[in-house]
Amino acid sequence: MSRKRLLLLAILVIAAMVLAACPKPTPEKVVETVVVTKEVKQVVKETVVVTKEVEKTVVVTPTPTPEGAYVERPYRLAIFEDLTTTNPWSYYGPNSTVWNGYVIGLMLPSLYGYSDQRFDWIPSLAADFPTPLEQEGDYWVSTVKMKEGVKWSDGEPITAEDVAFTVNAALQLKLTDNWEAAYDPEYVDHAEAVDTYTVKFYFKKKPGLARWQFGAAMGPILPKHFWASAVEEAKKKLEGVDPNDEEAYKKALEEAHKVLYTAPADGQPTGGAFGLTKWEKGAFVQSDRNENWAFKGQHVVEYKNGAYYEEVPGWYEFCAYGDCSGDVTLDYTVGPYVTSVLHNLYGSQDAAILALQKDEVDFMLNPLGLQVGLAQQLEQAGNFRVVRNPSNGFRYLGFNFERHPQDVKEFREAVAYLIDKEFITQRLLQGAALPVYTLVPEGNGYWFNPDVPKIGQGLSREERVNKAVELLKSAGFTWDKEPKWDPDKKAVDPGEGLKLPDGSPMPEFEILAPSAGYDPMRATAAIWIEKWLNEVGIPAKANLTGFNVIVQKVFVEGDFDMWILGWGLSLYPDYLCDFFMSDSGYNVGHYNNPEFDKKCSAFLEETDMEKAREQAFELQEILSTELPYVTLFTAPILEAYNPEVVQFPYTETLDGIQNWNGMPSAVKLMK
Amino acid sequence: MTRYVLRRLVQIIITFFLFQTLTFFLLYAQPGDIANQYLLNPNLPPDAAEQLRKELGLDKPPHLQYIQYMKNFLTGNLGVSFTNYPRPVIDIIKERLPRTLVLFFTATVISFYVGFALGKLLAWKRGGLFEYATTVVGVTLYTVFTPWFALMMIWLFAYKWNLFPTGKFITPTLWRNTPFTANDVFLRMIWTGVWGGVVAVAAYLLFRRLPPPYRFFSGFLALFVGIIAAVIPWIHSPMARYALDILWHMILPIATLTLISFAGTMLLTRNSLLETMREDYILAARAKGLPEKVVRDKHAARTALLPVVTSLVFSLAFAIDGGVITETMFSWPGMGLTLLNAVVQEDIPLAMGAFSFTGMLALLAHLAADLLYAYLDPRIRYS
Repeated sequence: MSRKRLLLLAILVIAAMVLAACPKPTPEKVVETVVVTKEVKQVVKETVVVTKEVEKTVVVTPTPTPEGAYVERPYRLAIFEDLTTTNPWSYYGPNSTVWNGYVIGLMLPSLYGYSDQRFDWIPSLAADFPTPLEQEGDYWVSTVKMKEGVKWSDGEPITAEDVAFTVNAALQLKLTDNWEAAYDPEYVDHAEAVDTYTVKFYFKKKPGLARWQFGAAMGPILPKHFWASAVEEAKKKLEGVDPNDEEAYKKALEEAHKVLYTAPADGQPTGGAFGLTKWEKGAFVQSDRNENWAFKGQHVVEYKNGAYYEEVPGWYEFCAYGDCSGDVTLDYTVGPYVTSVLHNLYGSQDAAILALQKDEVDFMLNPLGLQVGLAQQLEQAGNFRVVRNPSNGFRYLGFNFERHPQDVKEFREAVAYLIDKEFITQRLLQGAALPVYTLVPEGNGYWFNPDVPKIGQGLSREERVNKAVELLKSAGFTWDKEPKWDPDKKAVDPGEGLKLPDGSPMPEFEILAPSAGYDPMRATAAIWIEKWLNEVGIPAKANLTGFNVIVQKVFVEGDFDMWILGWGLSLYPDYLCDFFMSDSGYNVGHYNNPEFDKKCSAFLEETDMEKAREQAFELQEILSTELPYVTLFTAPILEAYNPEVVQFPYTETLDGIQNWNGMPSAVKLMK
Repeated sequence: MTRYVLRRLVQIIITFFLFQTLTFFLLYAQPGDIANQYLLNPNLPPDAAEQLRKELGLDKPPHLQYIQYMKNFLTGNLGVSFTNYPRPVIDIIKERLPRTLVLFFTATVISFYVGFALGKLLAWKRGGLFEYATTVVGVTLYTVFTPWFALMMIWLFAYKWNLFPTGKFITPTLWRNTPFTANDVFLRMIWTGVWGGVVAVAAYLLFRRLPPPYRFFSGFLALFVGIIAAVIPWIHSPMARYALDILWHMILPIATLTLISFAGTMLLTRNSLLETMREDYILAARAKGLPEKVVRDKHAARTALLPVVTSLVFSLAFAIDGGVITETMFSWPGMGLTLLNAVVQEDIPLAMGAFSFTGMLALLAHLAADLLYAYLDPRIRYS
């Protein structure tokens, strides 16, 4: 290599970097008065280059989009972590990652599912709702009639045999993890195929909605003709092993699980709109359209009055939850309109964003959504639309009821008043989070109680401090120097020497919270909560530490005062009982309220949807006044897509479009 | 010599044992365990996390886990990955290693070649604009913030100018219906590289026997023959277009890695060469009236090559690790990403497996470097 060439190369590299760093010329800002002469409902893109202030009338002639003007091609989705299995037994077992779910979730049918947007509980493979639970001998039973004519991708019909096979295999092999959550062995005894399209569930004790409708009835169903041999192979490991010999039986079960989880899944038929055809490890997963999918062309309508309607022309019609007429909130027809789904693996969100901008992928799947900066970057790029949806979860501050004074209701209430969620979300986090006042997020419309009191919402700092002092005093707390609002300084004159109702000094306590490296939002919130508590003399100290340390201390060792963590939630709010029933393993704060326990037991056993809703509202009310948790905020899910390339039937939905796996069976690709 | 090698092997085994022990307990010292991840799923019955802990052996005390791990390791069993349960660790390493080897071996060799060539020129033509420009550019790139630089490269060459893909190692739409996997192609590429290298070395040794006017071209000829030998088996192979697709995806990460790291070799070569040039035998060579190019390439550069070769051998050993940043930025799922994810997710068997490979290769590289020294420098003899 000659010296001149090398020099030239070096200069070129530097020049290239400088060029790359140069910002795009921004057009001059134009102040424009636009008079619109009529209401225009269609968005029309217009490029206006103006160099001076102008006044003009825009007359917009909407160009009708031709019906069905979409292209049939693969739907390219970006993901950030590779699959760890394609075996559905393993996916529902120890490999239940969200990334596996994006692919395998497209293939697993179930008897019942959720409706779009509103999350009503609706039949899927089932022809209608199940028969009411009734006692039959030692069992509680319910029967489900299935739709006829639904097939696996290999042409075999999906029958009651498949349902009974899946349920019984999970129970007999004592499969754990999500299998146990779906077919809970404490409740479900077995399932039986009464005839080809009728399946009967047998329960050991009366199950509530959580265990039946939102549990077993929504569990995955696998094809018996494909998996029967693998299940038999696994069962052989248990043959001749005495279940009373705990050690030997445990080992045999482990062996059986290994056999099932590692059974080859290549060529498995799908019961969904798409089926996995190729997994190129580390690169992409291809799922091709299931030409035998029976729900092709399904028409879905949701009404403002809460009614739900669906039909497949020439096959069936279904209407539930009210009169299927009136104002419509959602109306669309299911495809699939794409030939296949390609899940492309990218190493980072940055790399995927570039691929999205370069039109290498159509949409990004990420359970956490886009980072705010990246969403803004895409919005500024012009041709992307950013969708902001609430996530089904919250970050919260929890109290340890076994430590004084966290067990004092007025103390917890005072803490709740002192925490200014609007200030945290709007001022500190610059709108990157939304304040949360209830344990059931507003987006979970059916179960959300709108009448739950929102403590502290809209109060000024002065009002918060006064309210907190008043509450603490009413519970018998005293100060050497009482905190007061100083109107001149517009700040609190801090309190000193806070004493417990028994007169002893208030001990210093710790608020465990994740460090800024793990979650800057929670770390910021913790620091401000410490400051606000200190202002009224509460000697709190935020301890920002590793996530694993918090989990270990809170969930394993029980060595903590208060903690800040977050939960991702299920749609059916039985987590209210999981978190706060006195005998629940997740009630790590040891909240103990017999009245609440009683109501929870009734709620968990309830089989009527309307009654369960009323009970859930009551539970929310109790918790909002008892405050075992102070909910803080939730980070909305931000997602972006190019509307000129991708069209979704709807974009407003709890947990975002990713929650529906990117809607591959309904999406239309325009380019 | 044999005794020396045997002694070094024993030392390597002891060092490796200590390395394994230290790594195991360092990983173990992380707070929490993987089963805690399941504690955050309220839909999961509480005893399921406990059962998982038992299945993964996390309920045993650390020393028992360590003994079990070492026993398994010595019998060739690296255990089962927690995050890919119940997939064996060795399977995962076998899957990820070829991709990393192809990318990082190629990048390391190119980077060393560029660095060595430039280092030679720098040492020989000191004080000019070329030296300043190359050194400034080289050191700037050497110290640049790698993720930013990689993103800039992608943004400029892939997004703005659309010359290369934005990342990944294959084009999914092209590979949709292939009857073979990408790893099959990677393995074939590795064997091609080995085959081409062997042919090139053999050809070089042969061409060196040619009379002087032709001997001058022996290096180029050997390279040419090596490339021909490597290309011929691909001509009618159905894998050829897919290998080209991989090569196309490799250009940008290799260019990035080369630009980031060539300066290290360049400066090492320059310094080594400057010291060699002060030797008496260089003066003697010049006094004999040999052309400058011959003095530089045949006399000075060969001696100066010693530390550079050692550095190359170590770099090749660490190429197995890949690079977390490069692999993340270019969506190249090799050993680097595997190691990172294993550590972050507390997948101790997988992290240990990846570390073990790195440790073993690093120690063997040390031995190879020692032996290579003795071969390259006749003044060094081990007893």
